[in-house]
Amino acid sequence: MPDGVQLELELFENLRLELRRGCLIVAVLAQLRVEQYGYTLRKALADDGLAIDEGTLYPLLRRLETQGLLVSQWREEDKRNKRFYHLSPVGEKILEQLLEEWKSINASLDRILQEAGRI
Amino acid sequence: MNSLVSRNPNELVDRYLQAVRFWLPKSTRQEDVLAELGEDLRSQIEEKETELGCSLNPDEVSTVLKRCGSPMMVAGRLGPTRHLIGPALFPIYAFVLKMVLLWILVPVFIFIVGPVNVANSGGNWALAVARTFGDLWSGLFIAAGIVTLVFAIIERTNTHLGAECKWDPLKLPPVRKEQHKPSSLKAACELGFNIFGLVWLLLAPTYPFLILGPAAALLKAGPIVHMFYLPFVLVSLVALVRSGISLARPQWEWFPALSQLLQSVLMLIVLHSMIQVIEKMPSASLFVLLQDGVRDAPKYFKLVAIVNVSLLISVASTWLGVCIATVIQTWAFLRYLKNRASAPQRAAPLGVQ
Repeated sequence: MPDGVQLELELFENLRLELRRGCLIVAVLAQLRVEQYGYTLRKALADDGLAIDEGTLYPLLRRLETQGLLVSQWREEDKRNKRFYHLSPVGEKILEQLLEEWKSINASLDRILQEAGRI
Repeated sequence: MNSLVSRNPNELVDRYLQAVRFWLPKSTRQEDVLAELGEDLRSQIEEKETELGCSLNPDEVSTVLKRCGSPMMVAGRLGPTRHLIGPALFPIYAFVLKMVLLWILVPVFIFIVGPVNVANSGGNWALAVARTFGDLWSGLFIAAGIVTLVFAIIERTNTHLGAECKWDPLKLPPVRKEQHKPSSLKAACELGFNIFGLVWLLLAPTYPFLILGPAAALLKAGPIVHMFYLPFVLVSLVALVRSGISLARPQWEWFPALSQLLQSVLMLIVLHSMIQVIEKMPSASLFVLLQDGVRDAPKYFKLVAIVNVSLLISVASTWLGVCIATVIQTWAFLRYLKNRASAPQRAAPLGVQ
């Protein structure tokens, strides 16, 4: 049934986005251990398999900056003004904690899937 | 590389940013957001140009912008998250809206505005119904608008946030019990009262003081009472049979709700017929008349008039009350049907084995 397939696809897409949302924050924070501006950050994430559009990345960067996890500054590079972001000291600390949490979730998920015989 | 092509990319980007600016809320960050978006787009164009080894033509720039999204959509994503009524307040908003529209406004129109329109329409029912629906429609919009406005103000001023911390689990209402079968005691009492009422009604023509009290020496039943005596006896009889069946057949869970509804409809028909007859008769001698041969009869005309007007008001009030009861009973019966239809799928309540 085309409607059923469409609904299934939409459902999968929504769940996929939900799953990616939390991971994206960790990925962005990890990438910004090295200073980058928006476009190069987006490119680096896409090259590593986590493509993200402008409408998602920039609000996320602003939110992380407001939360004190990132610091940014406008600077001229190649005759153009660019906003460079990098991880703040608080951001570094939080990133370490998030990575620990990520590893723990990953291990739990592996165990659950093994127990369920899915792997 | 001609000058038009080399100038166009920036011009298209500027036009695009201008369109995004239009949809972005005015704030201190607006220019910041636009500058960052512009820089991203220019970087994309620049990279494409490096890849191709020449400047992009307007169509290629347009493809980059199209991939980014329409200005309105991009502004929506880049701007702050905004909502008229947020998720924290929305359940209360939906509840209040439902209460105001369904349980206050609609009944007011059915039982007050509708009858007033009927009374003012000079017997033109179609006009009265059309006017009531027109008024109801605009009333619904205005009420919904006011409720939405009030909640939008609460949302904007964050006055609801205090209530979040004030709730107390100990003050939550107790778990609602499943509806039980009607109790036998209730049915027996109902039967007793109905027997008493029917006997009272049957004795009333012979012993008028049962209705009129001491005034029976002066007053006697009027034409309306004679005309509608038997229909009221019929309604009482139906009530008696209904309560008898409820007592004898408690397993018929559907019976009390349905029979009560049917009894109310029957009562409404009788009252409606009575009101129609009343409209055609002089109000001074509807329900009671002065007894023949009463001394100083003119002295009591005022009393007769007062009693008749009082009874007229009682009939109108009863009609209104039965209308409300019929709506409530219809609602209860529909809920019963709905619950019955969903009963097999319903999970056992928590803590119930």
